[in-house]
Amino acid sequence: MKKLALAGALALGLAGCSGSEEPQVLNLYNWSEYMPQEVLDRFTEETGIQVVYTTYDSNEAMYARLKLLDESAAYDLAVPSTYYVSKMRQEDLLMPIDRSKIEGFDNLDPELVNLDVDPENQYSVPFLWGTTGIAVDTADVESEVTAWADLWDERFEARVMLTNDMREVFHVGLRVLGYSGNSTDPKEIEEAYEKLTELMPSVRTFNSDAPRMPYLEGETDVGMIWNGEAVMGRDTLESLEYVYPEEGIIAWLDSFVIPKNARNPEAAHQFISFVLQPEISALISEEIGYATPNLAARELLDDSVANDRASYPNATDMINAEFQTDIGDEALQVYAKYWEMLKSGQ
Amino acid sequence: MRSLTQQPFRTAVLVLVWGWLLFLVLTPNLLVVGASVMTRDPGSFISLPLTLDAYRQLLNPLYLEVFLHSLYMAAMTTLVCLLIGYPFAWALSKVGKRNQVLLIFLLIVPFWTNSLVRTYALKLILATNGLLNNALMSLGVIDEPMQLLYTEGAVIIGLVYLLLPFMILPLYSVFEDLQEDYLRASHDLGAGRLSTFIHVIVPLTLPGVLAGIMLVLLPAMGLFFVPDILGGSRNLLVGNVIKNQFLDARNWPFGAAASIMLTLAMAFLMFAHRLSKRRIGEDGV
Repeated sequence: MKKLALAGALALGLAGCSGSEEPQVLNLYNWSEYMPQEVLDRFTEETGIQVVYTTYDSNEAMYARLKLLDESAAYDLAVPSTYYVSKMRQEDLLMPIDRSKIEGFDNLDPELVNLDVDPENQYSVPFLWGTTGIAVDTADVESEVTAWADLWDERFEARVMLTNDMREVFHVGLRVLGYSGNSTDPKEIEEAYEKLTELMPSVRTFNSDAPRMPYLEGETDVGMIWNGEAVMGRDTLESLEYVYPEEGIIAWLDSFVIPKNARNPEAAHQFISFVLQPEISALISEEIGYATPNLAARELLDDSVANDRASYPNATDMINAEFQTDIGDEALQVYAKYWEMLKSGQ
Repeated sequence: MRSLTQQPFRTAVLVLVWGWLLFLVLTPNLLVVGASVMTRDPGSFISLPLTLDAYRQLLNPLYLEVFLHSLYMAAMTTLVCLLIGYPFAWALSKVGKRNQVLLIFLLIVPFWTNSLVRTYALKLILATNGLLNNALMSLGVIDEPMQLLYTEGAVIIGLVYLLLPFMILPLYSVFEDLQEDYLRASHDLGAGRLSTFIHVIVPLTLPGVLAGIMLVLLPAMGLFFVPDILGGSRNLLVGNVIKNQFLDARNWPFGAAASIMLTLAMAFLMFAHRLSKRRIGEDGV
C-alpha cells in the first residue's frame, strides 16, 4: 500500500517532468532495503541519470505490477528472484540483455550463472544471493535452536515470526516433513499446510517488509529471517543470531532484468555495469549483508564481512540447501489456497 | 435574466457530476463486474469464456469464515466507536458555538495526515518497546510489557482510531437538532433522567446512530492495511482477501467477485437503513 502510494506519486512526478526531456531517468524497481542510497547517489553523480527508486516486498507484487504496467513501461530495471526470472522470461516479459554493453560479467561466480532458470543469462544478470534461515534472539531464548522443527516448540508460543512469503513459509513446512521445498504435489502441500497450522498459535506476525524489525522491536524471539536482514539487525541487537537449520536453508538468487517495454534500456544496462564494478558490489554486500556473486568484489570485502557466516555460508551450512524453482501456475494455485487458509486461521 | 446567467453554470455542474459518476464510479464498477465473470488466466489475468466460477468459489466455507471474522471485527469497531462517539457527540453539542468549531476542527485535523502514516504511528505506540508500554511501566502500572501489537485488539484499536470521526459527525448533527423543549416536556410530564434518555433522546438520535454505524461498519471491513500493519498480517479482513487475490494469487475474477459481494452487503445495509429510517419517521414525533 505504502509502496503503491509512493509509486503513484512518482509516476505523477514523472509525468510532470517528461515534457522537459532533459534529465535522463532510470526507473528502478527493487526489493525494499536492497540497495544502499550511496550506490544510487554515486550512479547519478557519475552518469547524470536520475534514479527513480520504487520498492516491493514480494515477487508476486512485483510481477503483478510489471505485468499490469507492461504497456506503459513504468520500470527500466527490476530484481526478481530465480524462479520469477524463468516465469517472466517464458511469458515474454523481458528484454534480452545486450552483453556487449555490460562490463564485468566475467567476474560473476561461475556457479551462479547459466542456471536453468536462464541458460546463457540472456535475460538476467545476478545481483545478490542470499538465504532464508532462522533468527534467534539469544537474549530471550536459552536453549539452542538448530532446526526448522524447533520453531514448533511450545515455549515459543506467540514469539515466532514468519516471512510474509507464501513460497518460503511452505518451504519450511515441506522441509520439516522431509519433502522438497519446491514440491508440486498437492498431497505434500496439503500435509505441509496441516503441519503449519500447528505452528500458527506460535506465530505472532508475518513480515516481509523488513523481517528484522519484529526482533528489534521485541515482538518476536525466534523465526524466519533473510540473512542480510539478520546481519543488519545485529548492528542494533547484538544478541540476534543467524542459524542454518538442519533440514536445509532456503537459498535464492536475485537478478537484474529489463522489462520488455522499458523506456530507457540504455540506462538500465549502464546501471548493471555500474553495480558489477567490484568496488560497488563489495560496498553493497558490506552495507546490506547479502552475498555478492561477484568474485572480484569478494576479494575486496572487509575480513569481518567475508568471514561472516551469516552473509557467506561455508560448505557445511549449505548441506541440504535448496534453491527455489518455478513451480508452475497449477501448483501455485494450490499453494495460494492453503496460504489463505493458513492466514485466516483455518 | 437569472436563468440566462445560471444556465451555463448549471449545465457545467451537471456535466461535471454526471461525467464524474460515469467515468469514476460506473465504469470502474462495471469493469469489476466484468472481471468477476471472466475466467482466470495466468498470462493476462482474465480471459474468456464467461463463467460464474469465481462466485462458486465464494461459497467455500473458508471465505464465509473470513467474512464472519471480518464482520465481527468491524462490529466490535463500530460498537467501540458508538460507545465513545455517542457521549462525545452529546458533549460536543453542549459546549457552545466557539468551542464546537475548535473541537470539530481538532476532530478533522488528523485527516490531513495520510491514514497509512497514522497507522504506522499507532504501531510505535502499541509496540512492546513502544510509548504506551514504556509509560505504563515507568508509572508502575504494569511490571511486564503487554503484548498489544499484532493482536486482534490492535487491529480494532487501529480501526476505531481511523473511523471514529465518521461516527461522531452524524451523531453530532442529530444532537444539534435535538430540541431542549422535548427534554423539558419530558421532565414536566414526570419522566426521570433515565426514562427521558430511553424514551426521548435515544429515539430522536437513532437516525444519527444508524448513519454512524453504516459509515463505520462497512469501511472497517475493507481497510486491509490495518491488519497488515497492526495485526501482523493476521486477523484478515475481507479487504485483505481481495488484495491478496489481485496481487499474490493473481486470481482477478475471484478478487472481483469478493469485492462485489462486499458492495452488495453494503447496498443491503443501506437499504435496511432506509427502511428503518422510514419507520422511525412514521413512529416518531
